[in-house]
Amino acid sequence: MNESVRMVVVLAIIAMVSAGILAQVYEVTSEVIEENAARALESSVYEVLPGSTAVNIVRVSPHDLVVDEPKEMREKEERTTLIYEGVDGEQIIGYAFVGEGNGYGGTVRVLVGVDQKTDQILNVKILDHAETPGLGSRIEEDGFRDQFKGKSVQDPLQLGEDIDSISGATVSSRAVSEAVRSGFDQASAAYKGGN
Amino acid sequence: MIRSLLVRNIWDENQVLRQILGICSLLAVTNLVRNSLVMGLGLIFAVGLSSLTISYLRNYIPHRIRMIVQTLIIAAWVILFDLIIKAHLPEISRALGPYVGLIITNCIIMGRAEAFAQKNPPLASLLDGIFAGLGYMLVLVIIAVIRETMGFGTILGFNVNFLGLETWTIMVMPPAAFFLIGVLIWIVNIIMARQAAAGGGERG
Repeated sequence: MNESVRMVVVLAIIAMVSAGILAQVYEVTSEVIEENAARALESSVYEVLPGSTAVNIVRVSPHDLVVDEPKEMREKEERTTLIYEGVDGEQIIGYAFVGEGNGYGGTVRVLVGVDQKTDQILNVKILDHAETPGLGSRIEEDGFRDQFKGKSVQDPLQLGEDIDSISGATVSSRAVSEAVRSGFDQASAAYKGGN
Repeated sequence: MIRSLLVRNIWDENQVLRQILGICSLLAVTNLVRNSLVMGLGLIFAVGLSSLTISYLRNYIPHRIRMIVQTLIIAAWVILFDLIIKAHLPEISRALGPYVGLIITNCIIMGRAEAFAQKNPPLASLLDGIFAGLGYMLVLVIIAVIRETMGFGTILGFNVNFLGLETWTIMVMPPAAFFLIGVLIWIVNIIMARQAAAGGGERG
């Protein structure tokens, strides 16, 4: 066989075989991975809304969007805010929503749980981040997150004002307060403009 | 043969200390012992299986495209590892973040494929890959133990700072690994030079 033809054939066969194997493994694992993610988010909701026994997902989209084109459909999807409602039987415990802030190593996503009656934060949980392990990643520690408890949308939620930063991890700390702020703003905007 | 492969990969030609390969991931993950262990295991898995596969295929791969094929095989194994830990060890997968995917570009794997698996039988290549990965993991863990102890006062998350000493933030940051790996290479070089001078080693 011609040398160059042989190269093409061998490379094509190896590429196809490895792609086939990976596709097969992806098929098997993707379900587990998605399940893990969903379960992680659900258990996070239970964590930030203690006392809840079930979680309902509320989709709030802005009313001013008329949807009759696929493009607008996508836009609507992007501007839809997901709010998680933690309930215990008939009683609504509170609402949880996701907020994002810019950290040192990428986006920091947090889940904020707010009490239905008092409108105060019950708990904040860091969903994912790419901060320096052991330094910025200390935003996950209780001591830092507990500062947000009892705060409401009227509070400044600003580093240096009502939130103390972790020493050596100012950027990561700011990312969390920003994320909580933006989550709050989005959720309240969705409520005002939505239902 | 196993013994000589082991000694060569862990001591004489240690990938990190002697060949100065895999330094980027060393800087990134060694501030916690746990992350270093998983990274090391990932590398052992990836190098071992890549070397095995490449060795099996070595007589069918045209010489001129061997590097493309090696990269392809390495990438496939690493993605496989990444998917498996994402599915079954989500916590650790989150902690390692993008570094698992970056194993693909780890020079150690390519180095073993080119230097060993390309010209040796499958079983020897598998062992060579595993031992090379072990040598890498060993250095990672040594550095990680020093950095975690001095940076956090813990080892594997357990508090060992019994005297309540101040921890060093610099140890948590990547540059600390540079200083430590430099010192470690220095020490190993001195020992190697002594061995050679004593006539114990075949090579300098």
